[in-house]
Amino acid sequence: MEDIIICRCEEVTLQHITETATKYKCSAREVKLRTRAGMGFCGGRTCRPAIDTALATITGETPGHDIPLKVSPPIRPVSLAVLGGKSNE
Amino acid sequence: MNSNRIIDHPVLGSFEDRPIIRFTFDGKEYEGFQGETIAAALLANGVRTLRVHEESGSPRGIYCNIGHCFECRVTVNNQSNTRACMTEIKEHMRIESGKLQPAPLKSEAGSAHLPRTYAAFAEKHPTRKDGDLDV
Repeated sequence: MEDIIICRCEEVTLQHITETATKYKCSAREVKLRTRAGMGFCGGRTCRPAIDTALATITGETPGHDIPLKVSPPIRPVSLAVLGGKSNE
Repeated sequence: MNSNRIIDHPVLGSFEDRPIIRFTFDGKEYEGFQGETIAAALLANGVRTLRVHEESGSPRGIYCNIGHCFECRVTVNNQSNTRACMTEIKEHMRIESGKLQPAPLKSEAGSAHLPRTYAAFAEKHPTRKDGDLDV
């Protein structure tokens, strides 16, 4: 159960998140900065609900918008080449 | 070639004969049908590992398959970090899997005794200052 990988991009397990959150009694954002969960390639889009849920269980933190996990979701990821008009794909 | 594909589907209909596209994945040649994504064509060919995690080397493949999670990213014609699930195969496409990368700054087993902060360093070496040569 504890071996479950929450953040696949950075390979952060539920155990690592649980230990960090318990040891430092920290917010979801601090867990992110300490473990790198949610800082990987997908930008936290995949694991953010899981991190929020884990933190809600461990520290009772309710996910809010005051100090969020810093995700600024775009509608879809766009490369700079597309933005600059050098590519259509 | 159709062994891993759904060739007759009650809703989507039967699998039409479509032009065959040839491409290479890590130097090995594969065939797929026009309109298939890289991920789909490789899965039909039995290839499930599209890359390994850069740091740990554990295998990765299709996860969300909707271009959301970036788990299936590969290098396509020298363009790195291209999502295999969102890119259609083209004739003579050269696809490379994601490889293990060196992690020179990663702390290793046995380095736990090394100071990790300036404060820890100062505590350990009270007489040495930042910038002192290691003699």
